[in-house]
Amino acid sequence: MFLLAVVVYGASMIHSVFLWQKGFRRDDRASYFLLLSGFLLHTAAMVKRGFSLNRCPVNNLFEATLFLAWALVLAYLVVGLLPRLRFVGAFASPVLFAIGVFALMPALDPPRGPKPEFTGWLTSLHAALVLLAYGAFGLGSVGAVMFLTQQHNLKVHKLRAVLSLLPPIQRLEAVTNRLVLVGFVLLTLGLFAGGHLPRPEGVQYWMDAKVLWSALLWLLYLAVLVARWRFAQTGRRFACGVIGVFAFVLLTFWGTNLLSTLHHP
Amino acid sequence: MSVVVVGLNHRTSPVELREQFAFAEREIPAALELLRSRGIAEEAAILSTCNRVEIYAATPLAPSAAFAGLRDFLVAAHDFKGMVSNELYALCEPASVHHLFKVACGLDSMVLGETEILGQLKQAYAVALRHGHTGARLNKAFQRAFNVAKQIRTETNIQRGSVSVASVAVELAEKIFSDLADHDVMVIGAGDTGEKTARALASRGARSVIVANRSFERAESLARELDGRAVTFDHWQEEFARVDMVISSTAAPHHILDRARLEPLMKLRRNRPLLVIDIAVPRDIDPEVNFMENVYLYNVDDLQAIADDYLQQRRDEMLRCEEIIEEKVKGLLNDCLASSASRFAYPTPTHA
Repeated sequence: MFLLAVVVYGASMIHSVFLWQKGFRRDDRASYFLLLSGFLLHTAAMVKRGFSLNRCPVNNLFEATLFLAWALVLAYLVVGLLPRLRFVGAFASPVLFAIGVFALMPALDPPRGPKPEFTGWLTSLHAALVLLAYGAFGLGSVGAVMFLTQQHNLKVHKLRAVLSLLPPIQRLEAVTNRLVLVGFVLLTLGLFAGGHLPRPEGVQYWMDAKVLWSALLWLLYLAVLVARWRFAQTGRRFACGVIGVFAFVLLTFWGTNLLSTLHHP
Repeated sequence: MSVVVVGLNHRTSPVELREQFAFAEREIPAALELLRSRGIAEEAAILSTCNRVEIYAATPLAPSAAFAGLRDFLVAAHDFKGMVSNELYALCEPASVHHLFKVACGLDSMVLGETEILGQLKQAYAVALRHGHTGARLNKAFQRAFNVAKQIRTETNIQRGSVSVASVAVELAEKIFSDLADHDVMVIGAGDTGEKTARALASRGARSVIVANRSFERAESLARELDGRAVTFDHWQEEFARVDMVISSTAAPHHILDRARLEPLMKLRRNRPLLVIDIAVPRDIDPEVNFMENVYLYNVDDLQAIADDYLQQRRDEMLRCEEIIEEKVKGLLNDCLASSASRFAYPTPTHA
């Protein structure tokens, strides 16, 4: 059922290409209803899994990813009740599709052991903080794409820029910056919590792929924030940085997770 | 009794003629009184704006007699000695009601879809109503006209978008900056369009206006009008670090701002977005600056193209508006017919 939901998110993403071409001139019900259908399927998939487990279905990375995407669609559906904000769906659907495809990757949902993977309060805290950080980075990259779209319109398709429902670019940049900042703080706290987790015997902590990757990610986001704050690298450069780093997360998260001994003892 | 209209507007007559037929607001009650006392109309309202002078009347006379009477009244009321023929139009039902509805919706205005005329029409009706010159027929026609105008405004895009250079500039500014109240405007050269644009930005809440002009007196005078500050033309670059919107309209024969000069200024501004409106011909700003990061340059052709496109969109909406108006005119005339028939069938009882 979740696969069907991902297909619907994909259809919404294809539809959003047409909205993009038209320049978001009016609210779009088709996009809203596609995401609503996806949300219903998504919810049904989670409920079904919850009933089969007899507990809340947030026990491993697959389920946590499902939950994160579900929360994102729900947030959009609430925001989209306002017709003038419904265009956000065109930006949200590619992110949802990407997260959905990511969740469906093999080995993310291993056969269940005797215990759930996320046990112990520190592990739960680590997973929750890091997932929230990825959510904030994801939303930040959506804001950055919106910024680049509207900035391009303002420079090239001038009429489209004034007809568009997109917010002012200054506001888009401010929102993106805040989301990245919040994501960075959450990531820092999440990694700090992860650093205090008990380490399996014979594992070299600083040689683990996921630890090195996380440190690199933390540095990349730090560089993006410092470049904006200290060296006035604002506007397009900042937006490209935010999108680039999040693309890096999407492309490498699954691989490093599989390579990590700490995450797959 | 039927509704007729006689008048002249910007399409049928030049301003030199329209101004001779215009009524001052204080003259209207007396004119309406005179019109009714002569038996030309039982109910009447006069709409007099810079673009039109129209008399709406409900009269028991045949249309030809009513038209002749209203024409003579208009000419005599202004002591007009010249000749008028095609400049004056005269419409009877259903065209008169159709015209009233179009006027209320701004479809007969110089700027298609503008809303100012609705306020002026409401004012004309209020004056006639206050002095007791309207009755059931005109009340119904005007009330319906206001309702149609509201419906058209909400259901169509006839009033969407800006159709002047100044208001397009404001729209662009609002697509760049979150809140104009946090940003300052600089006007370089105090030309007419530059002044209108600065005024439009100031009226939408821009924090302050700095005016630089070759004639410092003119700069001071405009700055006073806009509640801003004047600077000498040689010192405008020194103010650049604090402004976010620049309107340039000098008569300089060459570019006064190019990429080489703007790059260090942008560093001073810490790369904050900069909106540059160049309405000078020949252009004041080198088009190359639009390729710079965080600089948004628009010249007069860009702004005019956006305004024209909005206007075209409004024209495209005309058909939908006409359909709504047509339906509402039929509705009103049918209602009037039905109420006349019911009066005929059941005469109002009289009391001793």
